[in-house]
Amino acid sequence: MSRYLQAHGVFKKNVVAFNNLLFGFSIALAPVNLFWCFVGTFLGTVVGVLPGIGPAGTVAILLPLTFHMQPTTALIMLLGIYYGAKYGGSTTSILLNIPGESSSVVTCLDGYQMARKGRAGPALGISAIASFIAGTFGVVGLMVAAPPLAEFALRFAPPEYFALMFLGMSMVAYLTGESVLKSLLSASIGVWLGIIGTDLFSAQSRFTFGRPELLDGLDFIVVSIGLFSIAEVLINLESNVKPDLFPVPKGIKNLLPNMQDLKDCRFAFVNGSLVGFFVGMLPGAGATIASFISYGIEKAFSRHPEKFGTGVIEGVAAPEGANNSDAGGALVPLLTLGIPGSNVGAILLAALFLWGLRPGPLLIQEHPEIFWGVVASMYVGNLMLLILNLPLVPLFAQFLRVPYYLLYPVIFGISIVGVYSVNQSLFDVSLMGVFGIIGYFMRKLDFPVAPLVLGMVLGTPLERALRQSLLMSQGSLTIFVKRPISAVLLLFSIVVLLIPILQAFRSAKSLQREANLA
Amino acid sequence: MNCLIFVALVILAAVVPVAEAFEPTKPVEIIVHSAPGGGSDLFARAIVEMLQKDNLYHQPMHVINKSGGSGAVAMSYIAGKKGETHTIGLFTSAVIFASLTQKEAQHTIQDLTPVVHLVLEPSVAAVKADTPYKTMKDFVEAAKKNPGQLKQAGGVVTSVDNMFRLLIQKATGAQWTYINLPSGAERIANLLGGHMDLMLENPDKVTEYVRAGKMRIIAALTEKRLSALPDVPTIKEQGISIPILTQSRGVIAPPGIPSDAVAYWENLFGRLVKTQTWKKYVEDNQQETYFLKSRELADFLEGQTKLLRGVLKEAGVKAVR
Repeated sequence: MSRYLQAHGVFKKNVVAFNNLLFGFSIALAPVNLFWCFVGTFLGTVVGVLPGIGPAGTVAILLPLTFHMQPTTALIMLLGIYYGAKYGGSTTSILLNIPGESSSVVTCLDGYQMARKGRAGPALGISAIASFIAGTFGVVGLMVAAPPLAEFALRFAPPEYFALMFLGMSMVAYLTGESVLKSLLSASIGVWLGIIGTDLFSAQSRFTFGRPELLDGLDFIVVSIGLFSIAEVLINLESNVKPDLFPVPKGIKNLLPNMQDLKDCRFAFVNGSLVGFFVGMLPGAGATIASFISYGIEKAFSRHPEKFGTGVIEGVAAPEGANNSDAGGALVPLLTLGIPGSNVGAILLAALFLWGLRPGPLLIQEHPEIFWGVVASMYVGNLMLLILNLPLVPLFAQFLRVPYYLLYPVIFGISIVGVYSVNQSLFDVSLMGVFGIIGYFMRKLDFPVAPLVLGMVLGTPLERALRQSLLMSQGSLTIFVKRPISAVLLLFSIVVLLIPILQAFRSAKSLQREANLA
Repeated sequence: MNCLIFVALVILAAVVPVAEAFEPTKPVEIIVHSAPGGGSDLFARAIVEMLQKDNLYHQPMHVINKSGGSGAVAMSYIAGKKGETHTIGLFTSAVIFASLTQKEAQHTIQDLTPVVHLVLEPSVAAVKADTPYKTMKDFVEAAKKNPGQLKQAGGVVTSVDNMFRLLIQKATGAQWTYINLPSGAERIANLLGGHMDLMLENPDKVTEYVRAGKMRIIAALTEKRLSALPDVPTIKEQGISIPILTQSRGVIAPPGIPSDAVAYWENLFGRLVKTQTWKKYVEDNQQETYFLKSRELADFLEGQTKLLRGVLKEAGVKAVR
């Protein structure tokens, strides 16, 4: 009897959720909301394609325009910018090696290599498809389980963050080029670059060289644009390198991913969706960290890890999926608890206040139209973005037909404008130049760039979490193994670190066996 | 005829000094030290919106973000606009406090022209609802029993939260640990997750959690009880006597601007804070209007800096100015 009642209860709950979703669609499909959803996703795509100015800046600048709108409509539009930018972010990463957003830096690694091989179209296509699948997964997660998931996210305190960042850092094992030593050196330089700025704990500045511009640290996107795109231009300026046009295959069929590509990305879709969503829920992490972790996981469990970095399609699908699923994840603590999970989330929180709402634990209960309207609009918005982005793929791919003597000045120009638009600072532009030269010499000396970028993104959060945890435990390291979540994550990092060693061991053994046979 | 022209000129000459009083003739830049979406950025955009809504001001006003160095970059930028009457900027206490430990900062608020003080943001002390602490006194007693065991989630070492901790510890002899978390979101998440025991925040950031039964406010760190929280006793009522630090927001201008320009901005903001739109904005954000003109603001800033320098020195934090 009780079991029957329980089943009945679950059934009833599902009916309620279904009714709520229908209610949400009745809001999201109202012409005015549909219109603003389109405006938001379109603007987001544009902002994502243009490097430099990101969704956070755009949302903040457009915020005053929304004061006269209905809060639900305004939120639908601003969120459209947020997840729309994630779709566009991969475009310049793939075509020009310029990361469009900081969460698309990893996409450069395999995306640009695919473009060099004439597979720009499939790379762009798969990033739209991965974005759609993971973006939709994120919305489903938000819809069915937001309150319990938010409770789970609250179990993350500094020791858990430390373990998560440690896991991310162990991915450096998968970003190595030919020499492990060079990779580790590169990662250490990255950690050092991340340290530059004001120390949170003592308010003392570290490695600022007396420059006030360095007190807040280096801007990640400025460094990456220098290391990736400027270095690329410099390498190609060498007279002995014959710059050739990237091949662009003819026919629309060759410009979109084929069945084999989709099959290769099965695991990447799942990986990107899950990692992006869970990391996105945590207020102290974000899409950039999620994209790195999902890339690392993809490589760790791949049958051909050695091919990553040479243009494998999963290397694009995983991080692009992760940075989209992150949007749904970031909304979990924002809408259920009023805790923003990202910098865009923080602006949206302020916006909710300005519109006269009270974001917090009671928001869903008191304003169901906001929650369900937003959820439904995100299904619609993701579909719009897929329809908007797929036809753009063949169009963008044609961009590579531009001859190099025009293309490189264009890359140079876009990079400068993009970097300047972040903080309106010429200092940042010169910094980009310096990192362009550093990136050039790193390439010349075969130092991989990816570990440096990883070190820079994770170094500071890792250090912070370590110091916070030790303050909490009054100096005892056992805090990391006493807490279940951090213990599991640390164990997982050890597995991740051991896999390449075992693989190397096994291949050495089989080589030996072959030698013995010969 | 000539005589008439002469008379006209004399009359004009008499009128001109009045007509010459400063009035913006081109778009005005309002410099904020936070990135788009940060506290000062949103405040600046709200000010621009309110000035236009109430028809107080007609020239375009552009919000310019000069983020970096906890305000040091913005201060330098404004200092570089010496004598420029069409540039103003926003300041917060955080900027003044941060500059005390930055030897890199080439210019501080002392180098600029103070214009007006606009609002004070009060702080309240909050704990998780299922903890036994009903008042700040309970918390202090518990901290005395287990020195260093209780944990406060706070920001950078020069933030108002940490200053208050140092002041209360000194006044009561209790000791607890301060854990630096960079964002308000992380502090709230850690408190709700039960990982930390105390946090100090602006009331508007925590009242929703109180309403949902997840947090409790145990003290108002103010001189008088807050109008939005009439049942919460102030820290002084609880017998803990400490100087009250405030988080201020206001307007500054480049150095060396003429006094009529200062007077113009004083007058404009003086009229703004009297509007209904402003009053509603301040109430919605649970702030408090505290209007000071240029001269009084200079004294106010001087007093806060002196107080803070003393606290930092006692706490062993190295101040460079």
